[in-house]
Amino acid sequence: METEQLIRSLAREAEPVERLPHPVWRAMAWALLSVAYVALIVVAVGVRPDITEKLQDPRFVIEVGAALLTSVMAAAAAFCAGCPGRPVWERFAPLPFLIVWLASLGEGCWRQWVQIGADGRLKFDLMCFGAIFALSLLPAMLIFAMMRRGAPIAPMSTTGLATLAATALAAAALRLFHPQDVSVMLLVWQFGSVVLLAGVGFFLGDRLLRWTLVEPRSGDG
Amino acid sequence: MSDPTTNDARGRSRSDTREERWRNLMRAAQDGDQTAYSILLSEMLPILRAVVGKRWRNRQDIEDIVQDVLLSVHSVRHTYDPGRPFLPWLMTISARRIADAARRVHSRSANETTVEIMPETFAGDETKTFEQVSDDQELVRTALMALPAGQRQAIELMKLQGLSLQEASKQTGKSIASLKVTVHRAMKAMRQALKGEM
Repeated sequence: METEQLIRSLAREAEPVERLPHPVWRAMAWALLSVAYVALIVVAVGVRPDITEKLQDPRFVIEVGAALLTSVMAAAAAFCAGCPGRPVWERFAPLPFLIVWLASLGEGCWRQWVQIGADGRLKFDLMCFGAIFALSLLPAMLIFAMMRRGAPIAPMSTTGLATLAATALAAAALRLFHPQDVSVMLLVWQFGSVVLLAGVGFFLGDRLLRWTLVEPRSGDG
Repeated sequence: MSDPTTNDARGRSRSDTREERWRNLMRAAQDGDQTAYSILLSEMLPILRAVVGKRWRNRQDIEDIVQDVLLSVHSVRHTYDPGRPFLPWLMTISARRIADAARRVHSRSANETTVEIMPETFAGDETKTFEQVSDDQELVRTALMALPAGQRQAIELMKLQGLSLQEASKQTGKSIASLKVTVHRAMKAMRQALKGEM
């Protein structure tokens, strides 16, 4: 088909389209639904018995808050990455919160190492990985479904950020019902699981997000 | 001699006007204005050809990639925010599709081997005579006519007229799955008929 002919066919079939809402609104909608879902799970499983005490500990609040903000900012960044023409720096929006989260865990590791020493602190615990994976499944499915309305201009960044959003939210929720406070365990099994799953999401980007071209139905007739 | 500052300013103002105009055309196109959309795509065309032409030399390749960019723009036109500049939106899509095309060519060429002498794929020394070609065509025609009406129609639409499965499905009212089966059976029947004749 000649290009000019293709243009005529595309124009003839151009129906009104619903514009994509701003990435921030989309991220808010996703966060609202996903936070409500994980909150339900936390209530159903039962919050940890020392939650009142923990919420008064600034270190705990900073750590959970940073994980939560990493999640929301990663969702916003994923939605931005699906909009052509937006600045690339937006994709790094969750990075400061990710660093604060990592720093809070690192500080905890150092403090506990000074107080107690390194003996026997790191144990094999796949429960954290399983819990984060299971908890993040529904938020991940929701954000992937929402992302399909965007343009796959940076599929790997988009899916990596989307997975980070879902898993960071799950990790934050896990801290509210799983009484695990050994920082090195949190660093390896919780933060590590988030990074690992986000990495898997990143490398699956090209397969998960593809261009779906709408071919014109008719020729030039 | 013209003042370069004035020329720069004139160039800037021209691109500002074009940016504003394309932004308005795209906004109208998103609302379903087909004329605005047609004008926009037509005005974009020379720029797209120039951008693609920087990386590709073959005219047919350029047209194929430009068409790919146009189809991509059409598929994601709802992602354009009229509050933001239009050209970066268009150029991001173009850059991505050009990179995709380059990747396709690269992966295809990785599986190809360049040879100086093409290997022979036929056993005989001579090509077919005009009479032999004519006989073959007659045999194919006879085999086609011997097919049941549904199978013949499927072959005519998809193998002779070159329609896609979707287009043939629309024309015949049959499902894509059913058409696939029909074509498969028709090809098998024709192959058997031709084997018997040769």
